[in-house]
Amino acid sequence: MHRLKGTPDERRFLTEVIRRSGQNLLECLQCGRCTASCPISSPTVGGPRRLIAQIHCDMRAEALRDPTWWYCVSCGTCASRCPVEINMYQVATTLCEMAEEAGIEPSEPAIHLFEDLFLRSVRRHGRVRELSTVMRYNLQTRRPFKDAGKGLRLMLKGAISPLGMMGGGRKDPVVERIFTRSATVEQGETDHEG
Amino acid sequence: MKVSYYPGCSLEETARPYDVSAQKVCQRLEIELEEVPEWCCCGSSPALKMDRLLSTSLSARNLAQIEKQQLDQVVIPCPFCFRRLLSAQTELGADASLKARVEDVIDSGVRGQLNIQSLLGFLRYQVGLDAIRARVTRPLNHLRVLPYYGCYLVKPAGVTRFDDPENPVSLDELLKALGAEVLDWDFKTECCGAGLALSKTETVVGLTGRLVREAVRRGADALVVACQLCQSNLDLRQDEIGRAEGRAYALPIVYFTQMMGLAFGMPAAELGLNRHLVDPLPMLKEKGLLS
Repeated sequence: MHRLKGTPDERRFLTEVIRRSGQNLLECLQCGRCTASCPISSPTVGGPRRLIAQIHCDMRAEALRDPTWWYCVSCGTCASRCPVEINMYQVATTLCEMAEEAGIEPSEPAIHLFEDLFLRSVRRHGRVRELSTVMRYNLQTRRPFKDAGKGLRLMLKGAISPLGMMGGGRKDPVVERIFTRSATVEQGETDHEG
Repeated sequence: MKVSYYPGCSLEETARPYDVSAQKVCQRLEIELEEVPEWCCCGSSPALKMDRLLSTSLSARNLAQIEKQQLDQVVIPCPFCFRRLLSAQTELGADASLKARVEDVIDSGVRGQLNIQSLLGFLRYQVGLDAIRARVTRPLNHLRVLPYYGCYLVKPAGVTRFDDPENPVSLDELLKALGAEVLDWDFKTECCGAGLALSKTETVVGLTGRLVREAVRRGADALVVACQLCQSNLDLRQDEIGRAEGRAYALPIVYFTQMMGLAFGMPAAELGLNRHLVDPLPMLKEKGLLS
């Protein structure tokens, strides 16, 4: 039994994150094992404990702009060490979806750009084309020669093929359809809830 | 023995040495790998982060394709694909409404009864150390290795249900069976920075730097990995790691399947050992492990 003081209005954000992520954040003890274990928490990236505290305190705007969930690589260390088994990468997904629905600009544009380009490649080809995704990322961030020396050395070793950097390649209409259908189903649910 | 094989995107492109060595080693162990027909990307961390329904649907599409093979067991070399497909199967089993939505999205049913194994888990526990030892013709004597498991194979423990999240031993045991000298360290499952490789390279340099420095301090000849993301992050960032401290690192980062192949007497080039940025061949030659 968990009791939280606050009006239903003050609890709306917390309740929604719990419902959508399936993670009972009310169990959180604020013990800090998660952040102490988190590979990406730093002086500028607050880490899971602080993020959960923001959600508890109805700091919706702050939580949806927190860099922690953008940085999260779903390593699962916090979930493994959490005494109440909260899985923070499921919370990250929920916050990412909520931020997008609210039209909030990604607080970590570089991470967002890479992940977006990755999914565009999957959508088009059914499988991510790694090298062409790297090329697109480097071009869009205006650093076309980032890691070019390493790329060349790997190419000379036959580890990667220059053809991989080109666009094009086979298309996968089945996967394209999964992307479209998934967006349609989600849109229907958002409309229904709204 | 015949099992379904889901290689994942990286093994087709930047991690071919992992794919090639896995195939060769399985062939030698008389395991037939049947590639999943028309498999697609599992969505990896971008889909998992940005869109839960899409992520689960992409994995479910693969589960449905594997089920068509009627082999009941699938073996997955990439730890992320392994965890994602396994987790998707569990999520679908636990949530009937999610299952209905996903099946609607992928236009196919998912039975959800597959035995999903990582390649490491399959070789260590199902094929077993005795069968592996029996194939060793060139024991990796005097090779001092550090096993590095990374995150996705073992964490979160409740999701992967494989080995121990803090101190796993399966790879240690496998490498010992090959005759290698297996060193111990505290960083077996520390994160390498994974998918931040491109967008937050400095974070990856920081995280892999800790691993490389510690491995060198412990006197390892090589780090042995079971994940292509760990391999590339550790292999590619040693210049930057060294630059910050005015020294040059050249620690070979090799796949466990390459070490198996080597111990089975296969030529290094057939295992893709000549394709890493930090060249392991001079070290292997010095150890007398190249024919």
